[in-house]
Amino acid sequence: MARGKSIWKSIDKYLLGLFVSILILGLATIFSSTYEGDSISLFDFSTIYGKQFIWVIISLIIGVFILLLEGQFIKNMSYIIYGVVLLLLIGVLFMDPIKGAKSWFQIGSMSIQPSEFAKLACSLVVAKYLSSVNVKIQDAKTRLIVLALLVVPAFLIMIQPDPGTMLVFFAFIFVMYREGLSGNVLLSGFFAVLIVVIAIFLKASETENLIFGISITGNLIFAFVLLLLGGVIFIVIKLLVLPRYRSSKYKALIWSVLTGIIINLSINYVYDSVFKERHRTRFQIMFGIVEDRRGDGYNMWQALSSIGSGKALGKGFLNGTLSNNKYKHVPEQSTDFIFCSLAEEWGFAGCFIFILLYLALLIRMIMISERQRSKFTRIFGYSTVSILFFHFMINIGMVIGLAPVIGIPLPFFSKGGSAVLTFSILVFIFMRLDAERKKVLR
Amino acid sequence: MDPYQGRRWVIILILILIGLIFIFRLLFVQVLNTKWSDRAHVITHSEKSIQPPRGLIYDRNGFLLVSANQVYDIMVTPREIGEIDTVELCKLFRISKNRFDDKIKKATSGYNVSYKASLFIEGMAKDDYAKISTGLRKYKGFNAIRSSERGYPMHNAAHILGYIRKISKKQYETHKQDEEPYFKNDYIGITGLESVYENELRGKRGKVYYLQDYKGNKKEKLEENQPLLGKNLHTTIDGPLQSLGEQLMNNKLGCIVAIEPKTGEILSMVSAPSFDPAFLSGKKFSKNYKALSDNDTLKPLINRPIYNDSYRPGSIFKLVQALVALNDGVINPNTGFICNKQIIGCHLHEPPMNLGIAIKHSCNPYFYQVYKRLILRGSDPSVFKDSRLGLNSWRNSVEKFGIGKQLQTDIPGVKKGLLPSVEFYDKWYGKNRWAFSTIYSNSIGEGEIGVSPLQMANLAAIIANKGHYYTPHLVKKIGDNGSKKAEFLEINNTDVNPKHFQPIINAMEQVVLNGTGRSAQIDSISLCGKTGTVENKSFNDHSVFIAFAPKENPQIAIAVYVEYGTWGGTWAAPIASVMIEQYLNKKLSDKGLKKKNRIESAIILSKKSDFSF
Repeated sequence: MARGKSIWKSIDKYLLGLFVSILILGLATIFSSTYEGDSISLFDFSTIYGKQFIWVIISLIIGVFILLLEGQFIKNMSYIIYGVVLLLLIGVLFMDPIKGAKSWFQIGSMSIQPSEFAKLACSLVVAKYLSSVNVKIQDAKTRLIVLALLVVPAFLIMIQPDPGTMLVFFAFIFVMYREGLSGNVLLSGFFAVLIVVIAIFLKASETENLIFGISITGNLIFAFVLLLLGGVIFIVIKLLVLPRYRSSKYKALIWSVLTGIIINLSINYVYDSVFKERHRTRFQIMFGIVEDRRGDGYNMWQALSSIGSGKALGKGFLNGTLSNNKYKHVPEQSTDFIFCSLAEEWGFAGCFIFILLYLALLIRMIMISERQRSKFTRIFGYSTVSILFFHFMINIGMVIGLAPVIGIPLPFFSKGGSAVLTFSILVFIFMRLDAERKKVLR
Repeated sequence: MDPYQGRRWVIILILILIGLIFIFRLLFVQVLNTKWSDRAHVITHSEKSIQPPRGLIYDRNGFLLVSANQVYDIMVTPREIGEIDTVELCKLFRISKNRFDDKIKKATSGYNVSYKASLFIEGMAKDDYAKISTGLRKYKGFNAIRSSERGYPMHNAAHILGYIRKISKKQYETHKQDEEPYFKNDYIGITGLESVYENELRGKRGKVYYLQDYKGNKKEKLEENQPLLGKNLHTTIDGPLQSLGEQLMNNKLGCIVAIEPKTGEILSMVSAPSFDPAFLSGKKFSKNYKALSDNDTLKPLINRPIYNDSYRPGSIFKLVQALVALNDGVINPNTGFICNKQIIGCHLHEPPMNLGIAIKHSCNPYFYQVYKRLILRGSDPSVFKDSRLGLNSWRNSVEKFGIGKQLQTDIPGVKKGLLPSVEFYDKWYGKNRWAFSTIYSNSIGEGEIGVSPLQMANLAAIIANKGHYYTPHLVKKIGDNGSKKAEFLEINNTDVNPKHFQPIINAMEQVVLNGTGRSAQIDSISLCGKTGTVENKSFNDHSVFIAFAPKENPQIAIAVYVEYGTWGGTWAAPIASVMIEQYLNKKLSDKGLKKKNRIESAIILSKKSDFSF
C-alpha cells in the first residue's frame, strides 16, 4: 500500500485531470448520442452507452493495475507485446468479415479489434528500439528498421481492409522528427501533401483555359508554375548562397521540382484512370465543387447540418434532433461522427472548450515528455501524443468537411471498447513511466 | 545535451495551428453562417396539413343543394409496396394488370415521388370501400384516407352551382404565390357559385408541425394550427321551384328566371337543356364533361339566362316603351293611334283607343307611333339630328331598366345585352345617314335590341316594384351567421314616376284576363303579364312571357323564354303560370297539374315543327 501511496504522489495531476475530464465528456456525449429516452441503464450490455460505460470501467481498472507495475517491466514486455499483436493481426484475417472487413474477434457479445492494440504495440516497440544503446536515427539502417516495425502491422491492417486505421501509422513521422529525423522530411512531406491536394483540386474542378487558342488544363499550368518557382529559387541560391554549398542545394532543388511535377502529372493520370466515379465525386464534394445531399455527400451534408444547428450555445444536453438514436439524421453518430452530437448540443462554445481541452492534454503530454531523462519514456510519450493528435485531426477534419471521409474514431468519444482501452492504456503507461522519472537514468 | 529539444515547439505549433483552423471553421459553420442550421431545419421538420371540409350550399328554405358524400381515396406509396401478389391485388380493386402498372408508374413520375403517397384510386364510395377494406390491410404501401365528394340531394341547379375539380397544373402555378396556395390534389371551383365563392367555401388549411427522423417518421408534435372550416352558402334559390322549372323545360331550349321583386333575390334560374350536377362530381368528371361539352350540339353547359344576351325581347319591350313615353310626356294613358298595319304588321284586334288596349293586344303600329314620338321630338329641323338627340335621350331612360348594361350579380359570365346607341348606328350606317325610319323596328323589341332572360325577369320585377329594382343575386348569406353583400341591398331607380306604372300594370292584368296571355290564367291568383313573340326569319318564332303576381304586393316576378316556341302565349305563358302557382301556393291545383304534365311531355327541340294547342 505504501507503494500505491507513493505512486499517487508522483502522478502528474494536470495530466490526470485533463484525461479524466475528456473521458467524462466522452461518456456524456456517447450517452446523449445513443440514449433514446427510455429508462437509463448505465451498466447494461444491451445499450451502446451501457457497453461503453463498462469498457471505460475496464480501462480504468487495467489503468490502475498498470500504475502498480514497474516501468522496467513494461519496457521489457515491448517486444513480446508487439509479437503477440502481430499474431493477433494475422489471426484476425481468418475471422468472418463484419461489414466487409476482417477486423474483429467475436467473443460473445463483445468484439475485440486487434488493430487498435497495434497502435500501443508499435508505440512500445519503436520507443524500445530507438532508446537502445548505439541506435542513432541518423543511420539509414535505424530508419529502415523503424519503418519495417511500422509497415508490417500497417500492411496487415490494410489487407483487413481497414485503410483508416492503417493511416494512423503515419503519425509516427512526428516522433521521428522529434528524435532527429531531418526536418526536410517533414517539410517535403508537407509540400508533397500540398501538391497532391492542389493537383486533385485542379483536376476535380475541371478548370480549363484557352491560351493562344490551345486548351490547357489547370494541372499543366500548375506544372509550369512549379518549374517557374524552381527557376526563381535557382536564382535566389545563385545570389545568396556561397559557391561551395551551391551544388548540394541545386541537387535538392532539381529533385524537388522534378518530384513535384511528377506527382502533379501522375495525379492527372490516377484521377482519370484509377479513381472510380464515386471517388471523384467524393473529392468534388470535399472541395465544395458540387453539392450533394443524397448520394456520396449525404454523410457530410447531414453532419454539417447537425453541427450548424448547434449555433453558438447549442441545444442543450440530450436535446439534439439530428445526431442521436431517436432521429438518426447523422449516420454513424455514435462512432466516426460523434463530434456532431457534441457540436449540436453544446454549440460553438462547447466545441471551443472541447478543442482547448484536447490541445491542453496533448501539449501537457509533450511538456511531460520533454522533462524525461529516459529516452524510452520520451519517445513513448511522443508516440501517444502523435497517435491521439492524428485521430483528432483527421476525425474532426472529416466531420467538419475539411478532410475526406475516412473511417477513424475520435479517441475517448467514439464508441468502441478496444479503442478506449488502447488509448487509456497508452495514457496510463505514460503516466506510470513519468511517475518514476526521478528514479531512472536512461 | 539533446540538440533536438527545440523541435517540441514546432510540434506544439502544428497542434495549435490545426486547433485554430478547426475553431475558425466551426465559427463559420455554427455562428457566422446560418446556411447549415437552415438546412438542419429542413431536415428535421415536417408538416402535415389538415384539409377542412368544403362549405355546403343551401337553398332559401334550408334544404341542401350541395352536400358532402363520404368517400375514400386509396393512396399508394410505391417504395413501401415490397413483394406482393399483384394478380390478387388487381382482383381486389377490379382493375387490369396494365392499369395497375400505369397507376404505379404515374405515382412515381411527374411531381409524384416513390417515397410519398400518391393517389391510386379516387373517390371510392363508402359501400365499395367496406368491401375491400379488410383485404387491403395486408398490403404494405396502400392506405385509404377519408375524403368527401360533392353530393346533390336535389339533383338540380347545375348551372348556378357550378362544379369543382382537381386543380390543373396551370391553376396550381398561378396560385402558387397565394397566401393560401393549393396542393396538387386539391379541388377548386371552376364555374358558378363554386368558383365565385371559392375562397369562402374552401376554408383555410390547418397545419401540424412535427420533428421527423431520417426515414421521415413523425416523432414529436411541435405545434398545431387548427383549420378554418369552409363557410356554408345560403342561396336565394327555392329548391323545389328550381326543380319544377327544370322539369317544365325538359326537352326544350330556353330559360326561366324568377326573382323576388322586393329583394332582387333570384328564386329560380333554369337553363335548358340542363343536366344533373352529380354528373360532374368526383371521378366521373372527365368522361362526363367531354360528353356535355364536345358531344352535345345543344350546348348544355352554357348558362343561357345570363350568358345568352342576343335574345331579342320582342313585344315585352313595348312595356318599356310605354313607361318611357309616359314619363317623358309624349303620350298619356288615353292616347290612341290607328292600327293601320302600313309599315308594321299586326293581327286582328279591337282598335287601340288607349294605351291599355294597345298593350292588351300587343298592337305593333301603336308602339311604332309611340317610338316615333320618343325619337322625333322636333328639337332639330334635320330629321337626322333630331333622331340622334331622340335616340340618346331614349337610350338613357331605357338603360335605367337594367337593359344594355351589366347587372353585377354574383355569378360570372353575365352579359350586358345590346341597347343600340348613336355611336352604334354611326358605325353601322355612317354619321347622319340614319334616322327614325331606319331604326323603327326597335319600337316593338325587334331590331338591334338584345337582352338576357335575367334582364327580362328584372324588367318584370321593376314593374312589380313600380320603378325600382335590386340587382338580382343568388346568395343570401355567406356562412351560417353571415350576411348579404352590401351591393345587393342598394336600390336602383329607373327615374320613372311610380304613377305611370298603374296603367301598365292594369293593362298587364288585362293581357292575362282577355289578351294575348290568357293561357297564363290561374283561378286563385291575380297575375299580370305580357307575351312576346320574337320573330325568327326562317324558323319558328321564340315564345316569351314575363309576369309578376299577385297584382297587389307582388311576391314573384318571372321571365320565360322558349326558343322556337312560336307565340308567347303558347308555351312561355303557361310555364310562367305553373311556376307562379307553385311558388305562391306551394302546390298545384288540378288545373295547374294538368298544365304542368302537358308542358313537361312536350318536346320543342327542332327549329321547325308543328304542334297544336
